[in-house]
Amino acid sequence: MDKNKNLRLRIAEIIYKSGEGHIPSAYSLVEILSVLYGEFLKFQSKRPDWPGRDYFILSKGHGCAALYVILEQYGFITKKDLRGKGQPGSILGGHPDASRIPGVEASTGSLGHGIVTAMGIALGLKIKRKQNRVVVLIGDGESNEGTVWETALVAANLKLGNFLVIVDENGSTARVLPVPEMDKKWASFGWEVYNVDGHSEKNIGKILSKLKFKLNGKPKVIIAHTIKGKGVSFIEGDSAWHSRVPNGEEMENIRKELL
Amino acid sequence: MSNLIRQAFADTMLEVGQKDDNLVVLIGDISHFILQPFAKKCPERFYNIGICEQTIVNMAAGLSKVGFYPVVHTISPFIIERALEQIKVDFGYQKLGVNLVTVGSAFDYSMLGCTHHCYDDFALLKNIQGMEIIYPGSPIEFNLLFKQRYNNGLPTYFRLPAVTHDVIFKKEQIKFGKGIIVKVGKNLTIIALGPQLKTAMSSVAPLKDTGIDAEIIYLPTIKPLDEKLILKSLAKTKKCLVIEEHGKYGGVNDDILRLIADTPGMNVRCGSINIGDKFIHEYGSYEDHCRGLGFTPKNIVKKVKSSL
Repeated sequence: MDKNKNLRLRIAEIIYKSGEGHIPSAYSLVEILSVLYGEFLKFQSKRPDWPGRDYFILSKGHGCAALYVILEQYGFITKKDLRGKGQPGSILGGHPDASRIPGVEASTGSLGHGIVTAMGIALGLKIKRKQNRVVVLIGDGESNEGTVWETALVAANLKLGNFLVIVDENGSTARVLPVPEMDKKWASFGWEVYNVDGHSEKNIGKILSKLKFKLNGKPKVIIAHTIKGKGVSFIEGDSAWHSRVPNGEEMENIRKELL
Repeated sequence: MSNLIRQAFADTMLEVGQKDDNLVVLIGDISHFILQPFAKKCPERFYNIGICEQTIVNMAAGLSKVGFYPVVHTISPFIIERALEQIKVDFGYQKLGVNLVTVGSAFDYSMLGCTHHCYDDFALLKNIQGMEIIYPGSPIEFNLLFKQRYNNGLPTYFRLPAVTHDVIFKKEQIKFGKGIIVKVGKNLTIIALGPQLKTAMSSVAPLKDTGIDAEIIYLPTIKPLDEKLILKSLAKTKKCLVIEEHGKYGGVNDDILRLIADTPGMNVRCGSINIGDKFIHEYGSYEDHCRGLGFTPKNIVKKVKSSL
């Protein structure tokens, strides 16, 4: 079975079982997270606070189901943790909680926080002259938040060349408050900007491999063009599915498409 | 308007910053000039970030995560009211340390109106678990209390008033979480905060003329409250007057009413002088506002005689 189809199936299953979650927002992240954890980020899953790690924050916390299945895949959390999502005593809820989940650096959910925390980490590493890289994943809906653009301004001014923002541009905000020409906006703030098909692992990997992380330099942003709900035909691009939990029949149909 | 406590802040940053490489100061384009000695000695740990308070507060959480002791400094309403959610989520919930050092609390910016006033700060912050609230009314208090708390991994709010209370304490009296009995009395406890200690001290003689021997308690730490000291005094005097530059709700007065209610056998008559349930629409000096709001020795005597 295709590994990303398998991740999407597991995302749907934990959301179906727990009765809570954001399938489309998680599905648009699958390939990005696969490449980050599979090829790019340095980490030790059995020692999440390893000082040599790269820092990753999922700022659009409602996409956390995708992060959870990846964290399980790489051994930060267990299958049992996944099965218990949303249940009393579980470490996994509807948003990532740094106080409970190994490998989660910041408790996100309120949009526009994780990106700023990540910038603070990047500044701290720069002061300490450490080479760890800092990556944060935000949403295009999240990009309605003022703190995103305050961060764009401040990180460029502080020359945080160790800082990478990935925008999951899944069209979430297009029907409400569009953020057109995202790439030009970031470029105008002084960032190094890349566009990529956010569902092409090959292309994402290619861009990541050529980025130069320096303590003093331009911060970088990758605008990942994605599809909300990618992978399941009746969820793709349907805003009604934003926080909808599938019923039994719908879950069966998701399974059929992904198996 | 005196800036002695703000100067103590700048001096303390220099003193601590030279000894501790983990102290980082982020400011929102205020106090830039008085912080230059620190900035020159520790250029990699001083950042005038700009005018974006939520971001300044939030990025301090990132600094805290990688081992720094961040100090965030700007005007009270822009940190405490504007960035309250950042304080709650990024520090309170995640148990990260930060030092929020503000000027412009209450009505210190007396001529600048509502946007630059902040007298709900105690109420807003007290509900954040782990939050410490310190209100130093003299330069030495800031210096000592900052050094006692800045690196403890908790969020700590330092509300720096523009005016000092001018009472001199011994160094050993200034301890985090401890109140100070400034004057011993018999039949009334006045609990005074910040610069209002001066007003309280000025009321001692006129109160004496009416037969009231007031005990004066001063609280440089608001949270945690020195409950033991307060209860001991109230058990003796049976009367309490709280004087605080804070709104009617959620200030120290509310804490003391709850303390009394939760303590079996306490029978205490209580009153308070505070800003009330209102916005200040007037302009004028700090002293003008004090007169208008009843922060005067004359009003203390009147309040005691009429209510207590």
